[in-house]
Amino acid sequence: MKNDRELVDACRRGDEGAFQELIDRYKDLVFALIARTVQDRSRAEDLAQDVFLRIHRGLPYFRGEARLSTWIYRIVANVCVHDQARPPAPASLDDARTPRDASSVSDRRFGDLELRDRLEKAIARLPANYRLLIAAHYLRGVQYEELAEALQLPMGTVKTQLHRAKQQLRRLLETELR
Amino acid sequence: MFCDEALDAVEAIAAGELTPEGRIAAHLATCPNCAAALASARRLDEMLQARPVQKAPPQFTSRTMAVVRRRRWRSEQFLDLSFNLALGLVALAVVAGVWVFIHRSGLVSVSNDAVNVLSASFVSLAHRVAPSVPLYAGATALVATALGVWWWAERDATL
Repeated sequence: MKNDRELVDACRRGDEGAFQELIDRYKDLVFALIARTVQDRSRAEDLAQDVFLRIHRGLPYFRGEARLSTWIYRIVANVCVHDQARPPAPASLDDARTPRDASSVSDRRFGDLELRDRLEKAIARLPANYRLLIAAHYLRGVQYEELAEALQLPMGTVKTQLHRAKQQLRRLLETELR
Repeated sequence: MFCDEALDAVEAIAAGELTPEGRIAAHLATCPNCAAALASARRLDEMLQARPVQKAPPQFTSRTMAVVRRRRWRSEQFLDLSFNLALGLVALAVVAGVWVFIHRSGLVSVSNDAVNVLSASFVSLAHRVAPSVPLYAGATALVATALGVWWWAERDATL
């Protein structure tokens, strides 16, 4: 199994199998990140595909100063922010289809599902950069340092923005979290 | 005023990045609002950690590779087209240059004779080739059909 550096070199030489290996290695990470910022699964797949097309186009210019994963995070961030510059679909926390009075629901699992649904809707109402930070930070293995490098922000700024994102989320979910 | 200070630290405490000490710990123990904020921040942190991790669809790699190949094929086609166009332009420029040279150098009369000789040769060649024309036309049509089918299949390939 090739390491990232060998994989990139092979891709640059036009080795199609190497690029396929690169997709296999990073597809779950890329998809998970995007699926956490975009509600629609098919849209998430389109965006994830767009990320890999950008990687394919950009590989000849990748100088290897950053880690491959960091470079990929940066591309994911650009794709997500660019996509979310479009007007967002209106998302209300009080969807008419969901019961409003959680206390009347005896099944606790259903209550949890409802709470999770409201959490997703609340996240959808956050600004694009906050959404991406929340998605990436709570995905296993993504550290502050890597996030800061990918987003080209100081680590302190990443921490501050993440705390603000969570404050905003708490305000949106105030009644549910009590 | 002190509530603001404590509330600013709530997210970091909930995430386990900061341990409440001294004044903040004392305040959190006595202020119900700040204690509630910390509890809800912890609950939110748990919920965020419990968010499901979605995996890429099973055919994702093959679909992406198909798009990559299609794009590469299109860009190669564009390059081929540009190259052929450039060749055509160069040939046109050469023909125009020769034509201008012949007209300006007084070689028109000589070239007229040459044209007559060439056209006579062409007519004679045409007479010889005429019986085989249907065969050549059939072969050309077959090759063109095969190329057309190949182009169509490449263009619409999705997997």
